[in-house]
Amino acid sequence: MEHERCYIYTPPEQETTLEEADSATQGKIVNFVTANAPSEDEPRISIPTGLIVAGPSIASHGPYFERLGRRIRDDTGSSYVVLTSGESPNLKTFLKNLIKKITSRTEEDDDDDDDGIGRVTSSSRRGPKLLDFDLGHVLEWSSRNRVQSIVVAIQDSDAFDTGLLVEMVDLFYSWLDRLPFVLLLGIATSAESFEDRLSGKSLRYLDGQQFDVTQSDEIIEKLFRATVAHPGTEPQIGPAICRRIHERQKDHVQNVQDFVHGLKYAYMSHFYANPATIFLKPEPTFTDFSPEAFEAVRNLPYIEEKLEVGETQDVRKLLDSDKLLFEVIKELLVTVKGSLSSLSIAAIVLTRIRESLGNTPRVRLSTVWARAASGDLLESPLLRETMLSIKKAPSDRLMRVIDSLIDFTKQDANIDSEDIDLPVELERLHDELKTLIEENASSGPLRSQDDVRNESVRTTVVAQKVLLSKHKAALSEQDKAYSEVVAKLYQQLDSYFRFALVDPRTFFLYEILVYDLKSPHTEVFQPKPRLAIERALTTPHDYLGCQCCGAMQDSENTLASTQPETAILYQLYLESGALINASDLWSAFNAIVGKEDEEDQSQTMALFQRALAELKFLGHVKPSRKKADHVAKMMWKGL
Amino acid sequence: MVSAKRKRDEQDVENTSPRKLRTQTVEDDRVSELEAQTPSRRGRGLVQENGTPRSILKQSGLRTEFGATPRSNRRLLFATPTKAASDETPSGTPTIVRNADRSARRKSNRKLIDRTINGPDSEDEALDEEDMLAQQILSEEEHGQDEEQDTEAGAQEAVPVPETPSKRPRGRPKGTGKNQLAAKARKEREPTPPNELPAHEVYFWQNRPGGTKTSNNTLPSHTLLNHDEYFDTMQSYADRHKPEKDFLLELHSRAYDQWIFELEEGFNICLYGYGSKRAITDEFTARIYQHLLDQAPYRGTKKTPKIAVINGYTPGVILKDILTTVASAAIPKSGKLPNQPASLLNYILDHLSRNPPPHPLLIVINSIDSANLRKHPTPAMLALLAAHPSINLVCTADTPNFPLLWDVGLRAQYKFLFHDATTFATYNVEIDTVETVNELLGRSGRRIGGRDGVGFVLKSLPEHARALFRIIVTEQLALAYMEDEEQAEDEELAATSKSKRNGPRAAPEATQGVEYRTLYHKARDEFVCTSEVAFRTLLKEFHDHQMIESRKDSMGTERLVVPFRQEELETLVEELAGGDAF
Repeated sequence: MEHERCYIYTPPEQETTLEEADSATQGKIVNFVTANAPSEDEPRISIPTGLIVAGPSIASHGPYFERLGRRIRDDTGSSYVVLTSGESPNLKTFLKNLIKKITSRTEEDDDDDDDGIGRVTSSSRRGPKLLDFDLGHVLEWSSRNRVQSIVVAIQDSDAFDTGLLVEMVDLFYSWLDRLPFVLLLGIATSAESFEDRLSGKSLRYLDGQQFDVTQSDEIIEKLFRATVAHPGTEPQIGPAICRRIHERQKDHVQNVQDFVHGLKYAYMSHFYANPATIFLKPEPTFTDFSPEAFEAVRNLPYIEEKLEVGETQDVRKLLDSDKLLFEVIKELLVTVKGSLSSLSIAAIVLTRIRESLGNTPRVRLSTVWARAASGDLLESPLLRETMLSIKKAPSDRLMRVIDSLIDFTKQDANIDSEDIDLPVELERLHDELKTLIEENASSGPLRSQDDVRNESVRTTVVAQKVLLSKHKAALSEQDKAYSEVVAKLYQQLDSYFRFALVDPRTFFLYEILVYDLKSPHTEVFQPKPRLAIERALTTPHDYLGCQCCGAMQDSENTLASTQPETAILYQLYLESGALINASDLWSAFNAIVGKEDEEDQSQTMALFQRALAELKFLGHVKPSRKKADHVAKMMWKGL
Repeated sequence: MVSAKRKRDEQDVENTSPRKLRTQTVEDDRVSELEAQTPSRRGRGLVQENGTPRSILKQSGLRTEFGATPRSNRRLLFATPTKAASDETPSGTPTIVRNADRSARRKSNRKLIDRTINGPDSEDEALDEEDMLAQQILSEEEHGQDEEQDTEAGAQEAVPVPETPSKRPRGRPKGTGKNQLAAKARKEREPTPPNELPAHEVYFWQNRPGGTKTSNNTLPSHTLLNHDEYFDTMQSYADRHKPEKDFLLELHSRAYDQWIFELEEGFNICLYGYGSKRAITDEFTARIYQHLLDQAPYRGTKKTPKIAVINGYTPGVILKDILTTVASAAIPKSGKLPNQPASLLNYILDHLSRNPPPHPLLIVINSIDSANLRKHPTPAMLALLAAHPSINLVCTADTPNFPLLWDVGLRAQYKFLFHDATTFATYNVEIDTVETVNELLGRSGRRIGGRDGVGFVLKSLPEHARALFRIIVTEQLALAYMEDEEQAEDEELAATSKSKRNGPRAAPEATQGVEYRTLYHKARDEFVCTSEVAFRTLLKEFHDHQMIESRKDSMGTERLVVPFRQEELETLVEELAGGDAF
């Protein structure tokens, strides 16, 4: 159980990142709620309504409204309830739930939940007892608890019955003089489509304001920045699995939680399945490790590669002495970690440069990072193009680039204990550029010598031939000086990228520091249960690995009488059409399974019945009344 | 579609070696089928040839011609009309016929040219050209199937053309032509089942219009085993794959530690794959129990961890049962639990949040995708339960499409990790085999012991109940007959479409059974009951004994059905009317 000892993974501060991501919108909503607090002198004429356009990733709506609720309760002293379409099939249930949640009334009388209708008991001192869906309960409760306003959040308004929404608005409006309602409507589609669903009358009761929530892909990008691409992270996620997680996000789930789970599982698998990861233990000493751990390291492919190169002496030493190996590992871990984090930094630097240059198309950090991690960023057109546009950048843009990079080194230095050190003289370049800009008398920005605008095309006609010649405009003194600054920055960045963007997969101990296996990850998050069942039934040998059925593997037709009965029946089933005659199916089954010398077919019949019942259980067949003794086929293999 | 005939053929030849038979390629099967079918068709053709006076006339005419030209006598063997007719049929594939025709024409053209070149000294000069052409076409068709032979014949043009009978018109004799049409139609309906089609093509292939041609064979009712027979037989049956299945289980058991680790990290586990996974969950639960026993709050004490195991496949299990079980494991016994599932769930979650247990409570649900747990609020509520940090959920899913139960939101709440746990174990507990098959084949009436059972029940009922049952049965039969007649008429109208030929008692689902209203009026007219209440009471008795089933048809009207086959209904009605049985 080594994984337990060294399992040092701490979940990234996802909560904080998430809070950060939507704090701006939430702040707006909170302000909206505060601003719409009822005042004595001004009677309200419509229900203040926040239309929260939360986007299509419905899985993250729940947590979002939860966070929002926390904030509203804390900041405004309002009461806050969330209702979903699931708990509100009709107005009565909706109100019951609403009242229950607002008054946090425990259900002492839920036995007579349903016969409470029309039952007027005289138990209460103040006249007849209120029915449990009467907003009078809320009135009574609010008279006891002073709340600023009652915020009713509807998480998935798209899933609500339109009639229910209309009735709800009407009802809330009629109580508005007594109860300070504020509506928050979660909308997955668009505010317009929500508006279309309501009648003009209901809309007049609402005083709406739209809030756009940060979309999940942007949040994920931020999370990515904070987790995977964070320079200090160890172990790291490899490029392949990183791409896979992102693809899944894009194509299937769109869900921040799922992204976090995926990351977490990757870390878990890394520590669970790789015994060598034990060396990632903080402050390792030689005695911490068992010989097996060293054996695990010796099995890494790097050693073999070294042997092939011919460095047999070094390898021999590593193989012989645990002590020496430990020292090497200790040393190497630090350097490799350093290279990995500088790789991450380089990816971030590149993205930042592109952002401040305004390059199109926008390339996300996750994409850049994945390419960097797989070691092919250095040769990529992406990098080349970015570097070229630095050369051509006018002074104002270049200033932004430098500012952004300085900002980056400073800002991250705050979070991390280590300083991020770019081997670029940013400060000096910044100062030089600044003086140049200040000296610049003309209104336009300074331009470098590579800028297209400093070139003009000259057309000359010589001997009836048109000659096009490019001509560099004469550079002003300032432009010349500026060009020098640009060239310096270009050179330094270029050498920096060359230094930082190495292929990490060539490192020794890469396997310890980076997890990049897709095998358990894919199956665990994207199972193919149907395929698994079909495979089990068509080629049972794959699972059973038995002698009898395996012999048939080579021939085309894999149907053999030795296979499990359900597999045989399933393969017969595959051959037949949409309607199957059970009697014929039985004949075919009997022909394969039944023993010829046996008069009594009852055993074969029992097996047949069992197999058929299993197919029914798995949902492959259903009864058909079209013909006697026929069953209908429900599933086609491989669809 | 594999025709029924083919299967029967297989059964017939089965005594050789089944495996070998199966390994034959499909084309082989087709060929054998062709051969097997040919004789019958040939026979029909014969009857038609010889049966109609016209063809006799023609034959006699031919004979006189033979007499006139003795030379052709030796060709007589090849040229008998019967032979020609019979040979046409196997080559009946339209393309082949067409090809043969074409090649015949080509050849006769060539012959004409030959003759003009060689002059009129050709052997066949005396023959009528028309006759000759027709003759050639016929003789060519004899060999039509074999292109090589064809060309050979073309090369040896000198060989005298069998100028024999054929005063026939160029087309087929009427009878044969029709026969061939039918053959053509049949051919089109069941061409060779294609091999190695992509999955979607297989779907369209098997669902093509008219593709669902199946035989009318029925299983004799005594072949299906009843419960006692089934269990008797199964007890003596030894599974030949026992060691492999055990090995498979053992393989899965190696992952238990990993699963425990995953559960501890807050994930939930869902096992899928073919075969009953009860053995795995049982073993795993035991393992976790041991694991927990070794840990902090239980070590060295008498306390034992609690684990809730729920069998979703149990018929009639509902959400409340699950929640009650969970509550009993999660909450120490105190006072009354809320009654409604929703509030019970809130109560449990509340309790767990306020007094978090030392370790998450493990809930094991076998068959989370069983029909009972698929209905609307259940998956969502279970997701809420599973999402709680103090709950660990291990569940199994059997159906292939179970992920469709959960949308993205629920999926995120469930936080499932999926593991393939194919076991090949039989679903002994999950399925009531005999009952399922009976239901599948529309024989649920066997449940009450068949006709005899009905007899017993009826005997214990008063006279008017018996009368009512008789009315139901008679009405149902009458409806079935009407249905049959309509169908027969339909078929006469559309004589060509034979694909809709249904079995003897096959009523479409929509019109099966007696309408509730009609039945009530009938019953009142016959003074069986006087009020609807009395009528309902009588029906309830039948319902309780599962002698009738209630269905809604497409219009939403209620229909009452006696779940027996038509033949059984007939005997039932006889007995009821005779009164001797009951």
